[in-house]
Amino acid sequence: MSQVIPPMADEKYGTPAQIMALPQERLIAILREPGASVYAKAKACQRLAVVGDKRAVPALAALLADPQLSHYARFGLEPNPDPSADDALRTALGKVKGKLLAGVVNSIAQRKDIRALEALAKLRQDEDREVALAADAAMARIRPPQ
Amino acid sequence: MKDKPVSRRRILKTAVQAGALAAAPQIIPGSALGLNGAVPPSGRVTLGGLGIGSRGTSVLRSFLSESDVQFLAICDVRNERRETIKTLADQQYGNHDCAMYSDQEELWARKDIDAVLIATGDRWHALLSITTARSGKDVYCEKPCSMTIAESRALADTFQRLGRIYQAGTQRRNGPNFVRAFELVRSGKLGKLQTLHAEAGPGERWAPLTTHDWLPAEPEPAKQVCDWDRWLGPSPWRPYNSQYVQGRWRGYFDFHGGGILEWGSHTADLCQWAGDVDGTAPVEYEPEGMGGITPYSIRCRYANGLRLVLRDKGFLGLGSCHIRWEGDAGWVETADSGKIEVSANLRGERIEVSPEEARRATANHVRDFINCVKSRKQPRSNALAAGQAHIACHAVYIAFQLGRKLTFDPATDTFVGSDEANRMRSRAMREPWRI
Repeated sequence: MSQVIPPMADEKYGTPAQIMALPQERLIAILREPGASVYAKAKACQRLAVVGDKRAVPALAALLADPQLSHYARFGLEPNPDPSADDALRTALGKVKGKLLAGVVNSIAQRKDIRALEALAKLRQDEDREVALAADAAMARIRPPQ
Repeated sequence: MKDKPVSRRRILKTAVQAGALAAAPQIIPGSALGLNGAVPPSGRVTLGGLGIGSRGTSVLRSFLSESDVQFLAICDVRNERRETIKTLADQQYGNHDCAMYSDQEELWARKDIDAVLIATGDRWHALLSITTARSGKDVYCEKPCSMTIAESRALADTFQRLGRIYQAGTQRRNGPNFVRAFELVRSGKLGKLQTLHAEAGPGERWAPLTTHDWLPAEPEPAKQVCDWDRWLGPSPWRPYNSQYVQGRWRGYFDFHGGGILEWGSHTADLCQWAGDVDGTAPVEYEPEGMGGITPYSIRCRYANGLRLVLRDKGFLGLGSCHIRWEGDAGWVETADSGKIEVSANLRGERIEVSPEEARRATANHVRDFINCVKSRKQPRSNALAAGQAHIACHAVYIAFQLGRKLTFDPATDTFVGSDEANRMRSRAMREPWRI
């Protein structure tokens, strides 16, 4: 019989189930709290993917350059129906590099943000091959060949 | 010791390069000529493997037992597994030729490989299937085949667009007892089909809901022992814990679709097949029994009025993976024991399938795939059928997560009137992965 290992819990915010039961305002506050753990912030992002609205976008956008939380921020932003999520991702194109930039490009592609096409065209020439390939794929997805 | 097998692609390439072969006499192995019952290279399907664990090894054994298949390479993030699969293949062929890779790009670059067996964890299935197809290879992939509705649609669309062959590891479509039940439906002897019942995850272990928990962090092993970053792949980052890589990744939202996807990918899939609704999904989903506590059920309805019920209780005890199909003139029920029960008026139609015969499902399914790789026809669990069945299962899973009735438009893969449900149709992939 394998040993059952108890899952992690955040000292301040408790289990993922407890964190994810919080209302949007509290989830945003976790993202803004400098001392909150990666664990708590990750779970807040995942819940905001389902319940976050325009108010969640700035707090999620602020994490796009964080190596540990950038993907979680995109996890929260990508399905957000508010157009400010597009603005946030587009703005991040000029702020992040390498893998994180490729991730932001991929999220822009998922959202089919036509206003990003010009910036993506430039990124096709990026010296980072991963970024250039992501930009290529994003352009094809947003504006597929006729 | 057997003659060293020569791949179909390699011998054809060599023949071309040699310009109708040199005139000097040559000693050619019997296996290369198709002598002594051996299949010549031109008739062999060459295979690679991605992420082969316990279930994958079982499927791989079925491939290895086929004389017209040659397994050439294994790619896995775990060194231990690479070595195990290489040993298995090399023993089968009596050589040392099975190549080992930890990066799938190296496997895709092998132009001499026709098809790939994918048996990683679920988080990788759709992404690897699609990228493998783009590399020009056919795919046999274990189930569940996707993590989301969006991945399921991308899977179906990609294989259709590229003309590659895809077989989902839903082997019961080639299980003799399930085929017999299917034939009864299609014969019309059940009358007009009314309700399709699918067993979905019996017991608490297979509850419909998953958890967002993380296990405590452990020191990461060296990359060559286990590449944790690559193991996670497109899933959200979390700290390493050896439990995950030892196979205990099920039940976590980031890696798994719970009992619904684990078992519904078989049983709901069979129901879609029997109901002749492989090209669509139900339009209504009404869950009963919530909070991950069993027993539970969910009632679904197709646009044509046909009903699909996924439930974890109330079957006849014929083994795992029950299906029960009810028409207005009779019913049939079967499961993994191979036993088939029918309504009293159909007793003469009941044909027993022995447990041994029932266990041939995977071997039959593998054979179906190999035949289709050669003929370019569609196998039973092709990408469209599997994609649609998975869309249905994901819609069920989302209805359970939200705990309310949902309406779905299969033509657009959108939920009607539920913003939350629509936001759960896809998940951002971790960088740099994308479909």
